[in-house]
Amino acid sequence: MEGVSYQRYPRVKIREMRDDYVKFELRDTDSSVANALRRVMIAEVPTIAIDLVEIEVNSSVLNDEFIAHRLGLIPLTSDRAMSMRFSRDCDACDGDGQCEYCSVEFHLRARCIGDQTLDVTSKDLISSDHTVTPVDFSDSPGDDSSDNRGIIIVKLRRGQELRLRAIARKGIGKDHAKWSPAATVTFMYEPEIHINEDLMETLSLEEKKSWVDSSPTKVFDIDPNTHQVVVVDPEAYTYDDEVIKKAEAMGKSGLVEIYAKEDSFIFTVESTGAIKASQLVFNAIEVLKQKLDAVRLSEDAVEADDFGELGAHMRGG
Amino acid sequence: MNAPDRYERFVVPEGTKKVSYERDTKIINAASFTIEREDHTIGNILRMQLHRDPNVLFAGYKLPHPLQYKIIVRIHTTSQSSPMQAYNQAINDLDKEFDSLKSAFEAEIVRHSSEY
Repeated sequence: MEGVSYQRYPRVKIREMRDDYVKFELRDTDSSVANALRRVMIAEVPTIAIDLVEIEVNSSVLNDEFIAHRLGLIPLTSDRAMSMRFSRDCDACDGDGQCEYCSVEFHLRARCIGDQTLDVTSKDLISSDHTVTPVDFSDSPGDDSSDNRGIIIVKLRRGQELRLRAIARKGIGKDHAKWSPAATVTFMYEPEIHINEDLMETLSLEEKKSWVDSSPTKVFDIDPNTHQVVVVDPEAYTYDDEVIKKAEAMGKSGLVEIYAKEDSFIFTVESTGAIKASQLVFNAIEVLKQKLDAVRLSEDAVEADDFGELGAHMRGG
Repeated sequence: MNAPDRYERFVVPEGTKKVSYERDTKIINAASFTIEREDHTIGNILRMQLHRDPNVLFAGYKLPHPLQYKIIVRIHTTSQSSPMQAYNQAINDLDKEFDSLKSAFEAEIVRHSSEY
């Protein structure tokens, strides 16, 4: 039964990595895998977000549902999300979403007493679980100018009050975008640029300059010493074909050939802060593996086929 | 009011099978697999992996309708193989590919973190 394997061994190279950003190269696989990875990162890696809000007092200018929506969109630290349960299949609590396995409770109490407008922010949300808290952006570098009070939920004037209880649950971006851990996930094909040097040498310096300038992004440049055209940044190329059109217009078609490598991708992943960007990629691979496992044929489907060819013949095959 | 629950898009309803298999009535070694609650994410990687198998004569998937949350994968193989064998092989190979990708990514994180 076991046939030969057509497995691939993808290679990965990380270029840049910060908590909320990662840029990496993925090689030796095809676009279907790259796209599956991107789709899963956006829509199927679980996080925790506020899903149920009970408002006790709200005398602010925003209505209850408006505030509930804003609360839902606040990213919460979700390192625990992969091991948590979805409240719909949590046995411990019948899915009412108030147990430690599937939910986290938040409280918010704010009242403006002074003449100054009071900003109610994500920092005012008190969590029942110290591992699940509103994402803190204050220690991100270059952000020391403001006093950094978190994400503003609503502003209160003198006498206004907001008091509520919120329940955060595990979910995925497919359900509602508030659960998506990804701010942006993109991949591009790595370009392969070949300059026809012989043809290039037939160009004068002026022509070379005008050709180099025809690219909307800075892909090519001219070496100041040798006056040769060099590729400075192949990845700046946006597959706009401008340089190819320019070469044709100059009567030098074939001056440059540009291909997209079909097995080489450059990923850019930005996270909302709910989980680290590197963890997001890692979780996406794990989720994809779980999905694949779920689509394996079940035993009874295999048994049903035991009639095999005979069954097919009986049906006139 | 009568809107269906949002999770109906990705939770297989009780009493429904995740994957069902149906042999083609006219062509030997051809079959359709109906996969409930899956989309292009799984459909496309399966299709492309099946294309790598030389015993697969045809492999394709379709999402019949955006509001029917299922995909249909159709496979036609040579007599050396069978749709079921090709399907299982494709899943096993993809699974191993992701295993390898996972460890490659893990190793790369360690390497990158130690450099800075």
